[in-house]
Amino acid sequence: MAKWKKWLAVALCMGLTVSLTGCGEKQKASDETIVIRILENDTAKKEGYLDALLQAFNEAYKDKGIQAVDANMEEYTDLAANGPYGYGPDVLYQANDKLMTYAEDKHILPIDIEKLDCYAVTPEVAWDAFKINIDGATYTCGIPVNIQEPMLFYRLDKLPEDWETTWDKDNNKVADFLENWNDLYAYSKYLRDNDTSQNKNAQYGFMSSMNNLYLNGEFLLSYGAYVFGSNSDGTLNAADIGFSAGDSAKGLMAMKQMAALMNEGCIDDTITMNRYEKLADGTYFCAVSTPDTYSLFIEKLALTYESEGLTAKAAEEKAKQNLMMVELPGKLPADGDLTKDSASMSDSDWVDTVVMGGVNGYGISSYTKYRDACLEFVNFATSYEMIQTRMNLLGIAPTRSDVASESGGVTDMIFSSLAEGRIYLMPSIKAVDQIWVPTHTLMGDVAKDPYRKAAGETEKYTSLDDMLAALKKVDKDIYDAVFTLKK
Amino acid sequence: MNKNKSSYIVFASRVLMGAGQLLSKQWIKGMLYLTLFGAYLVYMVFAGVKDMIGFFTLGTVKGDAWLGIQGDDSIIMLLRGILMFFITGMFVMVHLSNVRDAKMTASRLNAGKELPGFLQAVKTYVDKKFYVIALVLPVIGVLVFNVLPIVFMILIAFTNYGGDIVPPELVDWIGLGNFKTVLGLTEIKGTFFKILGWNFVWAMVATAVNYFGGLGLALLLNKKCVKGKAFWRMFPILAYAVPGFITLLGFKFMFSYGGPINYYITMQGHHAIGFLDIDAGWTARIIGIAVNAWITIPTSMLLATGILSNMNADLYDAASIDGATKWKQFTKITLPFVIFSTTPVLISSFTGNFNNFGIFYFLRGGLYNEGYFLASDTDLLINWLYNLSIDNNYYGIGAAISLIIFIITSIFSLQVYVRSDAYKKEDTYR
Repeated sequence: MAKWKKWLAVALCMGLTVSLTGCGEKQKASDETIVIRILENDTAKKEGYLDALLQAFNEAYKDKGIQAVDANMEEYTDLAANGPYGYGPDVLYQANDKLMTYAEDKHILPIDIEKLDCYAVTPEVAWDAFKINIDGATYTCGIPVNIQEPMLFYRLDKLPEDWETTWDKDNNKVADFLENWNDLYAYSKYLRDNDTSQNKNAQYGFMSSMNNLYLNGEFLLSYGAYVFGSNSDGTLNAADIGFSAGDSAKGLMAMKQMAALMNEGCIDDTITMNRYEKLADGTYFCAVSTPDTYSLFIEKLALTYESEGLTAKAAEEKAKQNLMMVELPGKLPADGDLTKDSASMSDSDWVDTVVMGGVNGYGISSYTKYRDACLEFVNFATSYEMIQTRMNLLGIAPTRSDVASESGGVTDMIFSSLAEGRIYLMPSIKAVDQIWVPTHTLMGDVAKDPYRKAAGETEKYTSLDDMLAALKKVDKDIYDAVFTLKK
Repeated sequence: MNKNKSSYIVFASRVLMGAGQLLSKQWIKGMLYLTLFGAYLVYMVFAGVKDMIGFFTLGTVKGDAWLGIQGDDSIIMLLRGILMFFITGMFVMVHLSNVRDAKMTASRLNAGKELPGFLQAVKTYVDKKFYVIALVLPVIGVLVFNVLPIVFMILIAFTNYGGDIVPPELVDWIGLGNFKTVLGLTEIKGTFFKILGWNFVWAMVATAVNYFGGLGLALLLNKKCVKGKAFWRMFPILAYAVPGFITLLGFKFMFSYGGPINYYITMQGHHAIGFLDIDAGWTARIIGIAVNAWITIPTSMLLATGILSNMNADLYDAASIDGATKWKQFTKITLPFVIFSTTPVLISSFTGNFNNFGIFYFLRGGLYNEGYFLASDTDLLINWLYNLSIDNNYYGIGAAISLIIFIITSIFSLQVYVRSDAYKKEDTYR
C-alpha cells in the first residue's frame, strides 16, 4: 500500500515538474531563428490556407531567420487579456470592429501602411476601417484582407421557367427579383400563393432570420439609418446613435412586409439554422448568408443530389454549378412599400440598397518582441500571390483591387460595392458591442408582428410612428448600455 | 534562573523574533525564527512595501504599449497587495507563536525545569499538535486558491474597474460608489428589484419542484408493485448524465419556431407558438422551471432513494395497525424524516437555484425587455450580473451585485438552517 502511494507521489511530482517546465518564455526554434505566432480564423485552418501561407512564408524567409507558426489559439482569443502577459499571438487576423477595439487601448500596433506592397491597390475605404484617432493623431492599425457582406444564395434550377418573359421586365437577362426588392417580394408572394401543400409550408421565396441585424441591416441602412455618427474631426461619436435616423421607419415597415411572406421561423434563429437544408431541398427559393458559408450550402446541396443517385464527385460538381451567390437586390422602394408594382415606379422611387459589412484584416500585437518580423509577415500575407491563394481556397472577396478585378464576377462586384459605399462597414469602436441585443430584440419583435393577428394578439407596429418610436427606443437602449454606468 | 532574565527573554522575542530563544540557548529554534524574520524583512524591503503602497494607490503610471511604457497594472497591484497582507498576517501569527514560545521557555526556566533540545521539542510538538502540521499546507492552499480570489472579488466591488477603466487605464478606489449605483441609479435600481423578486420566486418554486419531484419519483420507484426498478431508474440518470448545456440547447431548439413542438402544432393546422420569444413572459418562465426540473430531479431522486432505503419499515407497520392512511404515513413519517435528513441539501439546492446561470442564459439569452436595464424578464440576478460584467465589462458593478447576492443567499440560508430541525434537533433520528 505504502509502496504504491510512494510511486504515486513521485509520478505527481514528475507531472508537476513537466507541466511547470512548459510555462516558459516565448517559443524559439533556435538562438538564431525568430519565431512569430500567427492567429488565423478557423476556416483558414480547416481549408488548409494557413498551412499554405506558413509554408510559403517560411520558405521565403528561411535565410532571414524568421519562422512563422500557427499560434494554435482559440479563433477569438482575447488579446487585451492575454497580450500584456505575453500569451497572445504576434499577428492576428480578425474583423475590423474586433481588431479596432484592441487598437483603442493600444493592444495592436499602428502600421506605416505606405511601405506595404498592398497599399496602392487597396481602396481608401478599406484602410479607413482600420483607422483610429488617438490624442488628435490618426493611426492605421490593421491591414485589410477581405470584405464580408450578406449575400443572397439561390438555386439556378429553381428560377421559374418563364423568368425571361415574366420576371425580366427590363430585358437585361437578370431576373428582376435579383435586382430589386419589390420584385423579390412579388416573386416570394407568387410562390406562397401557389403553395398547394396541405399545410402550405412547402414553398417560400426570400427567407432570412429577421432578428439578425448583420444579415438584414439593409432595411435600416438603405433608408438613412446609421450606427454611430461622427464628430467634427471625423472620429466616431458613440453618443450619436442613428438607427432611427432618416426614413429607417419605412425600411422597418418593408421588413415587416417581407417577414409576412416567410413563416414564424423568421422571428428567431430557425432560418439561420435550417437555410442550408431548406435551400437544398427546394423549400426556400433563396436565403441570406455570408460568403464564408458557401461551402455549407454546397455540402447540403451535394448531399441532396447524392441521395438522388449521383456519385459524391458528380453531386458536388452539380451543386457548384447550380448554387448561385449574388449580392442582395440593389434597389429598395423609397416609401418602404414592397407591394407596389415595380413597373409603375420611376428611378426616384428607389433607394440604393446599403448592407452592413466588414473588412477582415491583420493586426500586429503591441506585445510582440519581433515587430519587424511581424511586419514582414503581414506584407507577405497580403501580397498578390497569397491573397489570390486565399481567394481560391476560401472563396473570399479580397480588398486588393488587382486580385478582385482579375477574378471578376461576384468578387469584383463586392469590391465595387465597398468602393462605392454600398457596404456600411461596422464601426470600429468598442461601443459597437452594445448594438446587437437591442436591435436583435426589436427586429425579432417586428418580424413577429404579421403573425400576431393569427395568434389572436394585437399587432404592435401598424404605423410609421410605431416603427419610429421603437427605433428611438433602440437608440436609447444602446445609449444607456454604453453610457449609464459611466456616469 | 532569576525573574529578570526570564522577562528579558520574552521582551527580546517581542522586539526581535527568535532573540529570546537565542538568549535561552535554543540555538536552532532561535535561528529558525530569526531566519523567518529576516525573510519577511527582505520580502518587505524588496516587494512588500511597494505592494502595500500599490494596494492603496492602484498604480500611478499609465502604460502605453506603443511607446513601450509598461505602466502599472492596477489589477495585478491589487492582487499583490492582498498577497502582501496575507503574508503579513502569517508573519504576525508566527511572531505571536514566537512570543508564546518565549513565555513558555521563561516559565520553564523560572520553574527550574530543563529546556528540551530542538529535536525533542519538535517530536513533542508533532506528537501533541499533529493536526497543525497536517493542516498547514491545506490551509495555505485554501487561502491562496479560495480566500484570496474571494477577497479580490470583494475588493473589486469598491473600485471603478470596468467599462473603459480596464488596464492599461488605472483603476481607482471609489468606496461604496458601485453599491450606490446599483441601489440608487433609477434604471439599475428598478431592474435590480424586479429581477430580485423574480429570482426569489424562481429559486423557491424551482427548489420545491425539484425536491418534491425527486421525492415523488423515488417513492414511486420504491413501490413494491413496480417491476424492473433498476431499468426505470436508468432513465432519469440518463437525463442527468447528459451535460447540462447540451440539454438546454436541445430544449431551446425544441421550443423554437422551427423545433419539433411547433412542427407538430403547425402540422395540426394551428399557428406556431413563440414559447421563448420577447412576449413569452410567464410561458418562458414556466418552461425554464420545467427544464430545470428535467435536469435536477434525477439528483433529488437519487438522494431520496438513498434516504428512503434507511427508513424503518416497522414505523409503517405500526402506523397501519393504528389506522393511518397512506397520505398520513407520508406526511407524518416519510416527509419529516426525509426533510430532516436533507435540510442542508435543500438549502444548497435553493442557493444553487438562486444562482442558476445556465437555464435562462441558454434558453433565452440575448433579449432585453422593456423596463429592464440590459436584461430580460426571465433573467436572474446571476444572468444580469453576467450581462453587466462580462458582456459589458462592468466588473466593479458586477462584483457589487455578487456581494449583494452573497449577502441575500447567506442570510436566507443561515436563517432557514438555524430554524430547521436538522440544526435544532440534531439527535432526533440517531
